[in-house]
Amino acid sequence: MIKAQEPETQALLPISQAPYMPGLAYDEMVAANGEVRPHYRPLQARMSTLTSGELGDRQRMLERSFLLQGITFTVYGAESSTEQIIPTDLFPRIIPASEWAKIEAGLAQRLKALNLFLADIYGDQQILMDGIVPRDLVLGAPSYRREMQHLHVPHGAYANVCGSDLIRGQDGEFAVLEDNLRVPSGVSYMLANRDASKRTFPGTYRAAGVRPVERYPDLLLATLKSMGNHWNSDPQVVVMTPGVYNSAYYEHAYLARLMGVPLVEGRDLVVHDNIVHMRTTTGLRRVDVIYRRVDDDFIDPLAFRRDTSLGVAGLFNAYRAGTVVICNAPGTGVADDKAVYAYVPEIIRYYLGEDAILPNIETYLCREPTQLSHTLANLDKFVVKAVGASGGYGMLVGPHASQKERDTFAVALKADPSNYIAQPTIQLSTAPCLIDGAIEARHVDLRPFILSGEKIVVTPGALTRVALKRGSLVVNSSQGGGSKDTWVLDGEPEESIRP
Amino acid sequence: MMLARVADSLYWMGRYLERAEHLSRLSLVMLNATLDNTDAAVHTGWIALTALGDTEAAQTKNAYEAARGLVLDRENPDSVIAAVTLARENARQVRDQITTESWERLNLLYLRLISPNAPYAFDDGSAIFLQEVISDLHLFKGASDSTMSHGEGWRFLSLGIHLERAQLIARLLEVCFGQERTEAITDHIALMGLLRMACALEPYLRAYTAEIEPRYILEFLLFDEEFPRSIRFCTGRIQDNLKSLSNQAGFAGQGPERLAGRLNARLQFADESALLDGGEASALLTTVVNECIDIHKAVYEAFVAYPLELGLPA
Repeated sequence: MIKAQEPETQALLPISQAPYMPGLAYDEMVAANGEVRPHYRPLQARMSTLTSGELGDRQRMLERSFLLQGITFTVYGAESSTEQIIPTDLFPRIIPASEWAKIEAGLAQRLKALNLFLADIYGDQQILMDGIVPRDLVLGAPSYRREMQHLHVPHGAYANVCGSDLIRGQDGEFAVLEDNLRVPSGVSYMLANRDASKRTFPGTYRAAGVRPVERYPDLLLATLKSMGNHWNSDPQVVVMTPGVYNSAYYEHAYLARLMGVPLVEGRDLVVHDNIVHMRTTTGLRRVDVIYRRVDDDFIDPLAFRRDTSLGVAGLFNAYRAGTVVICNAPGTGVADDKAVYAYVPEIIRYYLGEDAILPNIETYLCREPTQLSHTLANLDKFVVKAVGASGGYGMLVGPHASQKERDTFAVALKADPSNYIAQPTIQLSTAPCLIDGAIEARHVDLRPFILSGEKIVVTPGALTRVALKRGSLVVNSSQGGGSKDTWVLDGEPEESIRP
Repeated sequence: MMLARVADSLYWMGRYLERAEHLSRLSLVMLNATLDNTDAAVHTGWIALTALGDTEAAQTKNAYEAARGLVLDRENPDSVIAAVTLARENARQVRDQITTESWERLNLLYLRLISPNAPYAFDDGSAIFLQEVISDLHLFKGASDSTMSHGEGWRFLSLGIHLERAQLIARLLEVCFGQERTEAITDHIALMGLLRMACALEPYLRAYTAEIEPRYILEFLLFDEEFPRSIRFCTGRIQDNLKSLSNQAGFAGQGPERLAGRLNARLQFADESALLDGGEASALLTTVVNECIDIHKAVYEAFVAYPLELGLPA
């Protein structure tokens, strides 16, 4: 490479001269013996030819393109509002084909079982009668919707879009940390990150043989259409958003645009004679399938929360009457409840007669007195989460908390034990990230997206979320997390491409 | 077929962007003129500020302060920054209807205006700053014309642009030649400034040479068929867009289309020499402003806020 005259500064040295030092956790790029894993070698070779100045330029280019595209959230200040991008790292995270095959099979198995579970608890409740899952745990959960009882859902597909959170522990095995069956978000970042990494590392991308994720929008559309095709061979699909002030609005508009369907708000819809219509410039048009990105509580003020204007009066009634399909179905949250989570391996065995391909994280239900006392005794080692909360809120990371924080949390825990679960603190795997001009290891998780309609489709890619603070294990964007692209490889890496 | 709310947003997006361009151009012309210390310069500044409805500033502020407020004052709902912010807010709500190419143009302009550097850039070189704003707006329109389907959405955008433009030009001409004026503007430099405010100087010169007369300016900006900032051209586009939109909605020839057709015919078949020589142009300008308001209301009633029982499918 020919370069202009370079000042002799540390900043312009190739990055390979600076040591990359993963910690104790499993590192995605470097094995414990210090060797670069085969599937990472081409990328690592490319990284080591770039100076930190060049990497910085690429990082800024990437951030600029996100800002221009409007992939931002708004921070409202006292004087004015500014827009910020979600932090994005330019190095992709790479998953070899063999590992992905297991993830794919595991995710499909899990979603199949969870949909069967939802159909059962909103139907005859066989699993509760057989005592596999405690009855009060399901029926008492706030996310259980009595209104859904005995309602026909096409193909038994309650959760049409599922985003599961996977982590890789110190043993290098993937496990499921959380299922997300309500209105999972982040898929637009998966697509935008891919767009960006193709521009940042085109040569490496081409040589690596990465499986494409770009078909997600049309697969989503096919999934949604399959939910309404029993009464209309070409159903009218819409995406429903809470509106422009929602933090995921960019994603709602993005998906609508890429699917070529209208992006509606509650005020655009009207129910007349149990049929849902949208207001168009040429009169009212019937709507058949609603991909709603609005929480259960807000979709219909007559059926659920009354103090909201986001939804559509009469929507749920039309749904019950079978003239419209709501995706995901209301009430799916009961299956991703943090306490029900502990029973998922049992649920898989009950409905499919198989062992779970992807394991759960060991989970203690604080509603059980013995497990509560075990949790209280090990607060400094455990992560304790409130069952109802999400987004990294209402949670205690024991090893990182002060004694005072643990004591305060213990009081809350003892006051309402059934509201909490505890899990051992897992050292999430780390991946290389560009931090202030140097390559450093940061903890990551993995959120793949699974579609389920007439059939189940796992997108060969994912959103890798990154905890950008050194040592932090919390990857949620509300808590200072970022994201990066995820390359799922088509074949096994060739041993011959050693640098 | 498109959502009524979306059509409304596209329409308003067009209006706000046209307003932002007009505000920027008037500010630019005013600032350039006031570099000279002449009566004509004072006159040009007064025309610009009065046409923008800021009569108070026309008397009290110096041109620079006034222009700075017109461009960058977020508190002022009639500033460039406010218009662009509203246009972008509308664009964000219909992000699925406009192309990435158009969106990025608009977003770039918005990011530049709200940047903390914007006031410094303006102070550093207001002419360059304003020229860049105007060319960004041109790029947005060019990108929309060459990347969006010229279907319903584009038609609502175009309708907003031309309806706003017709009103703004009519208002500008009213200020210079309307009844409010006691004496006619005859100063050559001031008249050139007026033509620049309508972005019309070069096309005018080609049509009438450097003979700049109020009568010819009125004729050109009212009745020229080909100049995109003449009122006649705008009403033609308004009618054209409404004809296509009304056809699709199944009320061809009625409502807003009828109003637009009538206004366009007024300009198309006007007795030009009687109007211009007899000094009756100001009545026509008032009619243009009022009928544009009527068209706006009719569009809203026909496409956006129609009663439900009229909208149900047969």
